[in-house]
Amino acid sequence: MRTTLQYGLALIWLASGTPVYANPLPDTGQLHEHPDWLTLLHYQKNRYTNGYTSQADDDAFFLSDDGKHSPESELRTTLAAISAPGEGDGHARCRFPARDRWLREQLALPETDIECPEYDDWKTTLNTETVTLVFAASYLNSPSSMFGHTFIRLDPPQDDDEADLLLANTISYAADAAAHDSEILFAYKGIFGGYPGITSIKPYYEMVRLYSDIEHRDLWEYQLNLTQDEVDFMLAHAWELRDINFDYYFFDENCAYRLLALIDVARPGTDLLDEVSTHAIPSDTVRWVVDKELVQEVKYRPSAATSVTHSLNTLPGDHQTLASAVANGYVAVDSQEVNRLPDRERAHLLDATYDYVRYQSEADAWPREHAAPLSHALLRTRSQIRDVAAADKPPEPEVRDDQGHDTFRFSVGGGRMGERNFSQLTLRPAYHDVLDPPAGYRSGAQLQFLRLDARYYTDNDELQMEQIVGVEIRSLSPRTPFFSPLSWQVGFGGRRTDTETDRVFTPYLEGGAGGSWMLGAKMQAFALATVDLEIDNDLNKGYDAAPGADLGLLHQNNRFSLMAGVKTKAWIVGNQHRQDQLYTRAGWHLGRDFSLFGEFTREDHYDRYRTTWQLGLHAYF
Amino acid sequence: MKKLIAGAILLGASSMAFAQPGCGVGAMIWKGQSGIAPHVLAATTNGTFGNQTFGMTTGTLGCQTNQSVQSMAMYMDSNIDKVARDMSRGSGENLDTLAVLLGVDEADRDSFRQILQDNFATIFPNSETTSGEAVDAIVALLEKDQILSKYVAA
Repeated sequence: MRTTLQYGLALIWLASGTPVYANPLPDTGQLHEHPDWLTLLHYQKNRYTNGYTSQADDDAFFLSDDGKHSPESELRTTLAAISAPGEGDGHARCRFPARDRWLREQLALPETDIECPEYDDWKTTLNTETVTLVFAASYLNSPSSMFGHTFIRLDPPQDDDEADLLLANTISYAADAAAHDSEILFAYKGIFGGYPGITSIKPYYEMVRLYSDIEHRDLWEYQLNLTQDEVDFMLAHAWELRDINFDYYFFDENCAYRLLALIDVARPGTDLLDEVSTHAIPSDTVRWVVDKELVQEVKYRPSAATSVTHSLNTLPGDHQTLASAVANGYVAVDSQEVNRLPDRERAHLLDATYDYVRYQSEADAWPREHAAPLSHALLRTRSQIRDVAAADKPPEPEVRDDQGHDTFRFSVGGGRMGERNFSQLTLRPAYHDVLDPPAGYRSGAQLQFLRLDARYYTDNDELQMEQIVGVEIRSLSPRTPFFSPLSWQVGFGGRRTDTETDRVFTPYLEGGAGGSWMLGAKMQAFALATVDLEIDNDLNKGYDAAPGADLGLLHQNNRFSLMAGVKTKAWIVGNQHRQDQLYTRAGWHLGRDFSLFGEFTREDHYDRYRTTWQLGLHAYF
Repeated sequence: MKKLIAGAILLGASSMAFAQPGCGVGAMIWKGQSGIAPHVLAATTNGTFGNQTFGMTTGTLGCQTNQSVQSMAMYMDSNIDKVARDMSRGSGENLDTLAVLLGVDEADRDSFRQILQDNFATIFPNSETTSGEAVDAIVALLEKDQILSKYVAA
């Protein structure tokens, strides 16, 4: 009945606009439940009721008034609209070219030509033959970038070497934050919603500048094996998405999610969105795309930071010292020490020094009065050395980010605390701990979200929540003669804390800052000053705070990771006391999916010594 | 390739005012990135700041009538540091991009790279050089060259 009514209404609408129009519309049957249609309109099954809701949060995306909730009504209205005569940018066929093409194929409607000046121009300008998914990896001193970012690059035909990919266009989807919002507000709205998500098109060189030069993130380029037809369909759908708002949610409906939807549209049946459960971490989404055999070729584009580190490291030792002296202004560019070098070595010295000066100017805010004249002198001198190519680019890492361990970790273990035996279960939805298999991750970087540790004590059959990590970020970036990054950590959550008589569960906030130094190829030593804050009724004054220190060693390799050190905290608010700890934690990596772990701590707290140890297995999904 | 050039022109025209010969100064070299340092949480949540547009509008650019030179000017405006670097080395992808934008044939690429490297000090006379001045200097240089002058003809 309802269907007939709508059908009738559509016809009336058609008839009123175009009295001469006579052909009846074909019967669409159950076509509105076709997966391709649901994908094209971004419909998702409702969680609690029957029916569908589109994720598009924008009336302009629908032709039917109840299009957001009714695939059927939207299909009928669309069919009527694309069957109406007329042309030009405002016509439904020009606004929704992908829907138009799909319906025509499904219903075997005649393929009449239509002029859409804006859309046709846009397509011609983009001139796309292949599509590349670009993944911006995390950068070392910002574990917060660990989630990565993805966008799509539209590659022009590569029939000759002249086509330059820096000029290719990119499509990305991101939260459109107001520039004046604070970091806190950004975090809140980013995670819980509140920002509109927008699709934008920019040339690749601007993305390279942002991610590679400013944020120091390596880029991985995954060229997809989409056919020309699939690429055209993706673009037609991208056109439909222009200026359409999809509310942005950091964990699930984020940048990566919308791109998956775009790939699903391009190749029906791919169903990448089905892989998304609670969250879509960009690096995980890249894994799915690889697993679905959508990738033809992978290329690596090192960031400015990776390149400068490589070019400095490949200089001979005494040239490294010279480069540092020139960069800091102790030795002039045209000094005897530089000039006496043979052309090739001098060129590479000048190149590395220039890259370093540029890096420091941007990352460390070297004053322009020093950096600009020096940069100019370096380049002018370099330009007089002919026929010496720049040194080799940094090699591609052996393990790509998408080849690292999966980010969801489930652990089971058993151990002993003092005189009590326990078994422990841990769930960690994301992301990486320094003792997890390091391949594909930045060494010394750690980011954990929503980790739950539950313990079952066997002596009195007691189940206890041992710890809930809300967020934990740690960055141990080694200092070198050229770079002096800060090592730091921050975290909050709830944990068991000793009140001398009991172990109570208390919210905590912790942070720390310090330095880290390489002791060998895979070993670093770190020293951090720390602060802890705990707030709970069971504490003497309702809260307690402790300045402290954490000194340790960290070794990471693909088979084995180890961290050992001492921590000391001086609790200064309640009953003042010291808490000293000696700790060792290790992981033995069994490939990419499993890791055995062991932990040992010896603690002196309230003038009591206590030993805790635990052994177990991590599995990564 | 022609289409690609057109693409670069269109995109730039929509998003920024840029340097062209006689039409403004453009970006100063080594000006730094002040003000656009990444927000920690913006990086985390993959947000973006500032106005972004999806559509690409065609703009009338005026001034220089050679579209290729306009495109080069636009590219130089946002990549001047890297162009200068590649120019001093006589090779690199940013130099290749300039060649693509100017439509320099494969056969002429070597002399194109060489003339820019040899004349680095003319194109970037000091550390206050702007992209507009550099473009002017490149055009003047190429115009004097028998083979390369055809790529910058108005």
